[in-house]
Amino acid sequence: MEELIRIDRLTKVYERGEVLAVNDISFTVKRGEFLVLIGLSGSGKSTLLRCINRLIEPTAGQIVFDGIDVTKASARQLRQLRRRMAMIFQQFNLVKRSSVLTNVLSGRLGYVNPGASAIHKFPKEDLESAFANLERVGIPEQAYKRADELSGGQQQRVGIARALMQRPDLLMADEPVSALDPATAHSVMQYLEQMNQEDGVTVIASLHFLSLARRYGTRILALKDGEIVFEGLPAEIDAAKFKEIYGEEAEEVEVR
Amino acid sequence: MTPQDQYYAGFMSKRPSWTKALRAYRKDLGALIADFVVLIALWGLSSFIWNDLVHGTRDFISVAPWIMLVVCFELALVWESFAVSPGMRLFGRRATDDRNGRAVIGRRFLRVLLLHGLPLFILPILVTTRYIPWQDRLAGFRSVSAAEVPDPRKPWYRTSWMVALAGLAVAMYLASALFTQVDLVKLFTNASATSEIWARIVNPDWSILGLGVRLLIVTLFMAFMATLFGVLVAVPLSFLAARNLAHGIIGRTIYTVLRILMSIVRSIQPFIWAIIFVVWVRTGNAPFAGGLALFVHSVADLTKLYSERLESIDPGPVEAIRSTGANGLQVILYGIVPQIINPYLSFTIYRWDINVRMATIIGLVGGGGIGQRLLQLTRNWVWDQAIVLMLLIMVAVWAMDYSSSRLRERLN
Amino acid sequence: MKRPKKSKSASHSPWVRLAALRPRFSAFMLDWASWGFIAYGVMYLLNKYWYIRHVNFYGRLTLPGWGWPVVIIATFELALLSHAFSQSIGLSLFGLRLFGPEYAPVPFRRRLARFVALHVGLVLQPLALFGDRPLGSLVHDSDKTGRMLLVAKVKDDLPAEKPRKWYTTYRGLFLAGLLALTFWLGWKITTINLQMLVERIGKSGHIWKDLFTPRFTYLTEPVIPGRTFSLVHYMLETIFMAFFATVTGAIVAFPLSFLGARNIMGFNAFGWLIYSVMRTLFNALRSIESILMAVLFAVWVGFGNPFAGALALFLHTIAALAKLYSEQVEAVDPGPLEAIATTGARRWQVVAYGVIPQIIPSYLAFTLYRWDINIRMATIIALVGGGGIGTLLFYFKNEVGRLDDAWNQVGAVVVAIVVVVWALDYISARVREKIG
Repeated sequence: MEELIRIDRLTKVYERGEVLAVNDISFTVKRGEFLVLIGLSGSGKSTLLRCINRLIEPTAGQIVFDGIDVTKASARQLRQLRRRMAMIFQQFNLVKRSSVLTNVLSGRLGYVNPGASAIHKFPKEDLESAFANLERVGIPEQAYKRADELSGGQQQRVGIARALMQRPDLLMADEPVSALDPATAHSVMQYLEQMNQEDGVTVIASLHFLSLARRYGTRILALKDGEIVFEGLPAEIDAAKFKEIYGEEAEEVEVR
Repeated sequence: MTPQDQYYAGFMSKRPSWTKALRAYRKDLGALIADFVVLIALWGLSSFIWNDLVHGTRDFISVAPWIMLVVCFELALVWESFAVSPGMRLFGRRATDDRNGRAVIGRRFLRVLLLHGLPLFILPILVTTRYIPWQDRLAGFRSVSAAEVPDPRKPWYRTSWMVALAGLAVAMYLASALFTQVDLVKLFTNASATSEIWARIVNPDWSILGLGVRLLIVTLFMAFMATLFGVLVAVPLSFLAARNLAHGIIGRTIYTVLRILMSIVRSIQPFIWAIIFVVWVRTGNAPFAGGLALFVHSVADLTKLYSERLESIDPGPVEAIRSTGANGLQVILYGIVPQIINPYLSFTIYRWDINVRMATIIGLVGGGGIGQRLLQLTRNWVWDQAIVLMLLIMVAVWAMDYSSSRLRERLN
Repeated sequence: MKRPKKSKSASHSPWVRLAALRPRFSAFMLDWASWGFIAYGVMYLLNKYWYIRHVNFYGRLTLPGWGWPVVIIATFELALLSHAFSQSIGLSLFGLRLFGPEYAPVPFRRRLARFVALHVGLVLQPLALFGDRPLGSLVHDSDKTGRMLLVAKVKDDLPAEKPRKWYTTYRGLFLAGLLALTFWLGWKITTINLQMLVERIGKSGHIWKDLFTPRFTYLTEPVIPGRTFSLVHYMLETIFMAFFATVTGAIVAFPLSFLGARNIMGFNAFGWLIYSVMRTLFNALRSIESILMAVLFAVWVGFGNPFAGALALFLHTIAALAKLYSEQVEAVDPGPLEAIATTGARRWQVVAYGVIPQIIPSYLAFTLYRWDINIRMATIIALVGGGGIGTLLFYFKNEVGRLDDAWNQVGAVVVAIVVVVWALDYISARVREKIG
């Protein structure tokens, strides 16, 4: 399989050199993979994801996305790169006071004519695909509601629909289900799996629960204190590895 | 349901049925009055603009007033029967055809005719204790609350009520510009009138700095004393002016009287209070007069802020303390005070900030402090000294503003 | 998260060390200033009561030439003492505390040593900017003399402690004393005289009577035909003046508020510069009340012209609203902005789709609130020639003595003001409730 992302010796240091969030990480992601990042809170998962699309500027290292160096991209190049990497978030990050439709349409902002978007005018095919994507995530009837009227699971689906609008090559999911209850969590994860298998979108998801990672990931990367402590197939994580990643007192919890 | 709602639910539930009917009736009547007012405002403002621009006169009406009233009333009725009017929007009322289709024009006109009787429809309520919206019954409509019929999504420029409100806003703005004689040409041609002021301002006379600082100290103390005494009076008053603490007929009466009194006192600027106090107190005690004016206004303002905060406390802990058999004072000390102490401090600091600002200018009407001298200086055209005082005021107000916002941040 | 090894802290530049010393410097300056205030107050009161030296009406103090150095040095020493021997108000406000080794309390003798070391260290303090001391420490900090640490940074390691009653701590007693002194001083400086207030109640009795029997003679009739207008006219003028100033001010403040928001501008040095300039400008403009600006505009466009008042209100509104607005922009939820940025949107698209929908309701609420304030100010801006209902208010007030019913007329104006201000206050409160 062809390589989509190569991360080379990536380092991120916060607070005037006092906190090392990501420490000298290197790995590659192949096209079509479903890579899951696991690790405790504060192990650097979010920082790593945000470095890939440079929401956070990395301190050192190199990120190559489809042959283009992200870390050296100009503002314009970066915007074009970001269009190809969608992201969904733990707190959904919808604009709460805007309608669901507007939230979904904002996924096209990188593509559309900027002048028209200033007066909230989108091309007809974008509108149609917005409805199609809402249909796909199962909430077509909510299009005109305000985003904060929806339940958590529905909000995350809006987030997925917004990501779908970008027609991305890569989907980054930053703890997409940790604010949801287990049943909803699975349905959201299934949408990600569907994108991965049917549309061929490469997925990098950070997850809290190992059981979810085992169920959906094709490969697992475990972080601890900003360093990679495990890299391999889901089946390879045994009790000893688990203790190494999550600490001695941890118990594995099953999410059904 | 918020905790407050639960708290009030006790005395809200025992409403006689005629008040319910009256409330429903009030919505229809309110909508009508609101539309009437909107139409009159639109008419008045646009005819003012027209008269000012075309005839150079400043009249809001150029026809007989009764014509305007009648036409606006009729238009309001038509509006309510043919479209969703601002009044209906405001009071959450919609009229829908009984068969849920588009009503025929004839029936809409019938509704217009029947709506004329709306003011009389209060009479059946007094007898039957029920409100029957005759205008809809007889015309084959159904009056419903807005929640029952979802509005079709339309852009704002295709709904009559939004267009009307937008038009009202534009007319209001234009009329206000004309009324206040906004004249940009004059602003530029007359700029030379201030040239001497600017020339003096850029060469400040620093010899007044010492006096300025002393005056500033007086000003700051004026604000401090007004706030301090204001707090001392407002804290006990706030307990009497909080609705959730007012029990019994006496309590409710005190609450009502205090609230009305405070809102009247509050709507009179400290400036106007100062005018009265300057006459009362000897002229030699100018800072006292200014301080008193600030004090009176502070009491009213703080009582309002405090008691509103009291009304929104969490009733849970109060209930818990009461259930331990505590008496009234204990309930206040252990259930209420811990909840309000920080907001009260925050409001006090906020008020102190306002008082410092007001104290700098209350001298303009003889209330003492730095403002009094500043006004004298500008009247005597001594701008080179006036600018020094202005700079002092700026520094003081800025420092006060900064420290008060930092302090309040810390409290929250 | 992982913290790098301690040795890294040695490599801090002098600038970083200087910045880390800021809380300690501020704490000391605050203590010095509070002792200075006490000195001023004591001297003022001494003069007032014992006539050691004449104090004039505005509290002028005249010290001999050598007096000032004595006061400055004495207050400096007192501040040093309060720093070395106790938890002064400056230290507690900036979250500093003196600790011995292992966070133990520092005994009296060590504190004495610290007080002496403070003097020795005075000239040597620049050395604290170099070498490998921990951040935020000065030359006299050592295990012997105790270390001054930010409580917030070490609070996890601190042993549990029972809080003390305020009247057993130096800080509580100092504050209480300061408050008492300020009160006493304020009583004297603002010439409070309750006896006189009560005695002269008769002087103002007729005023109250007249004010409560307002006469609406000029409700629709002009007071002086051809020169002035009616009460209703001036009331409308007031409302319109405030409305014009508020709307125009809001329109101007809207774009400016983004320039004054740190989260929008603070990405690079240029943006930071614009942000700082904008904020300084807002603060400077805001601290001058509009009535003072109206003095200038009355000269500019004509005394008594409502345009003058409108301009003054407008200018003040821009600054006030822009500051409130930009604080709202800074308080927006950053999550959605992040999400929109990841779709490849431009900076201004992020603002248009992420920021604006979040801030619209609070913008409306603030604008309404400002209209309220502007109406109140517009009722009195006539004092300096700004037009509006105040024209009548001050006209009748100046006619006291010449006109028999002057106070009754003032009463009518006041009633009109109360009605309008109260009504608009009520409406705007209801609308704000609905928006929020």
